[in-house]
Amino acid sequence: MKKLKNSFNGLSVVKILIYAFFGLFMLLPLFSVFLVSFTGQPINILGSLTDPAILSSTIEKFKGASLENYKQVFSNAGYLDGLKNSLLLGFLVTLIVIVICVPMAYGIARTKMPFKKTISALCMVPLIVPTFISAYAFIIMFGRSGWVTEIYNVLGGEGMLLNPYSMAGVVTVQVFFFFPYALWTLVAAFKISDVSLEEASQNLGAKNWFTFIFVTFPLALPGIISSALLIFTVSFSDFGTPIVLAPKELNLLVVEAYREIAGFFNWGGAAILTVVMVIVAAFFFWLQHLFTKGKNYGSVSGKPKQQKLIENKTLTRILSGYSFLVVLVPLFAMLSVALQSVATTWGKDLLPNGYTLDHYKTIFTTSMGNIQNSIMLATGALVLSVIIATFVSYFVVRQNSSKLDFMASIPLVVPGIAFGIALIQTFNTAPLHLTGTAVLLIIAYTIRRLPYMVRSTMGAMRAIKQDIEEAAINLGATPLTAAITIIGPLMLPGIAAGSILVFITVIKEASVSILLAPPEWAPMSLAIFHNILRAEYYSAAAMSIVLIVLVLLLQGAANLLSRKQKL
Amino acid sequence: MGSVIINNMTKKFGEFTALHDINLEIEEGEFFALLGPSGCGKTTTMRCIAGFENPTSGKIYIGNNEVENIPANKRNCGMVFQSYALFPHMNVFDNVAYSLNIKELNSSNPVKQLAIYARLLNNRLGKHPKAIQEKVMEILKYVELDKHADRLTSELSGGQQQRVALARALVMEPAVLLMDEPLSNLDQKLRHSMRNTIRTIQQDLGITTIFVTHDQEEAMSMADRIAVMDKGHIVQIGTPTDLYSNPSTPFIADFVGTSNILSGTVAGEENGLVIVKGDGFVLRSANKALKDELNVIIRPEHVKVEAVDSIIDDKKTNVIEGTVIMSTYLGSIVRYDVQVGSYQLIVDTTYSSGSNIFEEGRKVKLTVEHERVLLI
Ligand SMILES: Nc1ncnc2c1ncn2[C@@H]1O[C@H](COP(=O)(O)OP(=O)(O)O)[C@@H](O)[C@H]1O
Ligand SMILES: [Mg+2]
Repeated sequence: MKKLKNSFNGLSVVKILIYAFFGLFMLLPLFSVFLVSFTGQPINILGSLTDPAILSSTIEKFKGASLENYKQVFSNAGYLDGLKNSLLLGFLVTLIVIVICVPMAYGIARTKMPFKKTISALCMVPLIVPTFISAYAFIIMFGRSGWVTEIYNVLGGEGMLLNPYSMAGVVTVQVFFFFPYALWTLVAAFKISDVSLEEASQNLGAKNWFTFIFVTFPLALPGIISSALLIFTVSFSDFGTPIVLAPKELNLLVVEAYREIAGFFNWGGAAILTVVMVIVAAFFFWLQHLFTKGKNYGSVSGKPKQQKLIENKTLTRILSGYSFLVVLVPLFAMLSVALQSVATTWGKDLLPNGYTLDHYKTIFTTSMGNIQNSIMLATGALVLSVIIATFVSYFVVRQNSSKLDFMASIPLVVPGIAFGIALIQTFNTAPLHLTGTAVLLIIAYTIRRLPYMVRSTMGAMRAIKQDIEEAAINLGATPLTAAITIIGPLMLPGIAAGSILVFITVIKEASVSILLAPPEWAPMSLAIFHNILRAEYYSAAAMSIVLIVLVLLLQGAANLLSRKQKL
Repeated sequence: MGSVIINNMTKKFGEFTALHDINLEIEEGEFFALLGPSGCGKTTTMRCIAGFENPTSGKIYIGNNEVENIPANKRNCGMVFQSYALFPHMNVFDNVAYSLNIKELNSSNPVKQLAIYARLLNNRLGKHPKAIQEKVMEILKYVELDKHADRLTSELSGGQQQRVALARALVMEPAVLLMDEPLSNLDQKLRHSMRNTIRTIQQDLGITTIFVTHDQEEAMSMADRIAVMDKGHIVQIGTPTDLYSNPSTPFIADFVGTSNILSGTVAGEENGLVIVKGDGFVLRSANKALKDELNVIIRPEHVKVEAVDSIIDDKKTNVIEGTVIMSTYLGSIVRYDVQVGSYQLIVDTTYSSGSNIFEEGRKVKLTVEHERVLLI
């Protein structure tokens, strides 16, 4: 690699800085959490490197290292239950989501079902709403004084139709708010599976349902498995729903880990749970990767074969009606939040007793700080991730730096709560005392959302031909100057779309905010969370609506941008 | 300005050798063409000169300086890319001003650097100094684009974009101008006029120019000298007339202009002429034969077609009999395909009204002068 030697320049310095960033804020925390899972006591790796006294105490701690914590996973009833319940939760959600989505996906991909566009659009609703707000919406609907419960009782039911504070409640919320993640993969799978085989089956006289079960379904199976694995990882890592809905006696890994750290400062316990979480999530992510490798369901090369869409009136009407039922649940959930945000009081009735804008007034007077914090933190994360993602994609696309590519996708497999715990544990003492600062919060957001940002900057980078960059260098620019003056501006549209996405997800983020945000930097998500905990439902509702409107506006801007780009 | 010298340059991509032991000496002010079929290593040679590739071995000198340790951005080679590689987010003026801004950037203090970065990122964020403005406008006027200075490059025609690329390379007053198939993206007509434009500018400025092309006509009509490349080797270097009249291999004979290539055997000598026999022909050549089994090269325009009953003195010229299998009008010439033995010879004759056209199937006599029978 003579070339590298020749071009030791500003760019290689940037590359080193990026490696240092990942090393310090991602690999080091994960590694030290791994160590703590053995020692049971906090380990200060940075301190050990700078201060001999800390080093000797670290060594002492290692002498006490044992597999004790790992034994606990299997002996401590709480931990073991947590693991079992989390796996069960993921399993149930996955199963139900697939069962629910297969008919919908089939309807969208293969039939002329009425209102297809409307249904597709409504499928966006769950993606916009942070899960802790959806969980809370279910309390408004299904809680003791919820309107669904009211209807249920009027119809003669006893108690609650569905207790939101239960495993069933957590499963239901996750099902209705995660199903879109699977839906589009399934639609793609149904679209590309070979129609000629189905036609052959029908020519042989097979009935439609027979063809579906024995031909269409098996053909779409790889797509189904891949989306099932994705849903499992998402459900397993979700923090927002369980933290709001899981009752004390229902142990889930994410909640258990949170309680260990936030309630008891039990480093060893939190560390071991973190390690288990990362291993499980990474395993399922790897499985999914294995399944999708070589098969690209979303974007097949060339045009998909022209398929005849099924027009059978009865079938398409049933499918359409069914799909509406599914998408209406999240929609009603959001309408309930909206209604509560303008209600004077809302007891055990179908509708509120009266309407007022007072809750919004309160929000905009007393909680303006949270809104500002959210915006500032999200802006910080945005700027940082734009800079890092731009250079990372430069190195990956132009210099084939697969190590950086791998590095930037690690955050995908680390559940937010696990990453938060790792950061707290690593940076809570000198020499780099960052726990409780906005800086660490911004860094955490940045790393967590970097994979998405990198994906969109990488796309933009690939679209820029190499010779444009070479032309700049030929005209005398150093590689760094070329990157700043030519590559950067050309990537701008891609960067803009990606950064809006980062902004949105940071505003929606619950786990890292709840774990890491100091009071003076509390973002909206944390404020809503506290309000829900304190049962201040009306201000929680108003704040949720503000958050959702903000997200909607940004999403609209992003869509506009990407449409412009395509033109 | 400077000469370019390449000594024993080899370039490998992994196991694959793209360039074998290349040697070139290009004089100051020369218009030099690299000619060869696609994939023969022309672009690689040029990229090595510009500094985008490092030769596996060998040395390159630009203006007598060995350049191995000079990075691409300091080599001062103006390059015109095949795709032009114009900066799509900048207008014509800013494209051309880019190198001047970079030059200023490198010789400024940090505060001024910021200002230059600002105007590089957006031309509304700062004005260019007068010297730069004048220089850019001068070169734009030179390539007749001064009226389009504010246009985005995407709003220009192919020929105009080509001239922007040229102006952008020329404005930095490069030691050498490198052009990689600059005309291949233009339509036929424009290509012809751009040939003249480029040649005129090159002569005007006296700038050392290396011009890559796979189009022999282009190379022959523009270059002072041509290096013909094949499969990573340089096969022959010479002036256009050299290559045409004395091709060193059948490959060149075929590549540089149209040729009839016949394989023959030396059958003796007579009156200082070499006698070569082959399938369906016996030819006498005034040229030297270096071996016994050889290739006979005859250019289409060096053959004359006569009626089969015409009387020709076969002591003064070669006479071969053949049958016309096709005749084609190509503007002012008529091209015949004539069957001789197992060969189909191509013959070009100038056509003037009233002259005789031989239809297909006619037997004819072909004549070739002794000097025109090349043996290689
Ligand atoms: N970066 C590279 N890696 C591997 N092979 C290359 C690379 N660049 C060029 N080559 C190979 O080197 C040969 C010469 O390429 P090139 O110089 O582009 O040919 P030309 O410009 O004459 O068409 C080709 O066979 C090409 O495939
Ligand atoms: Mg080429």
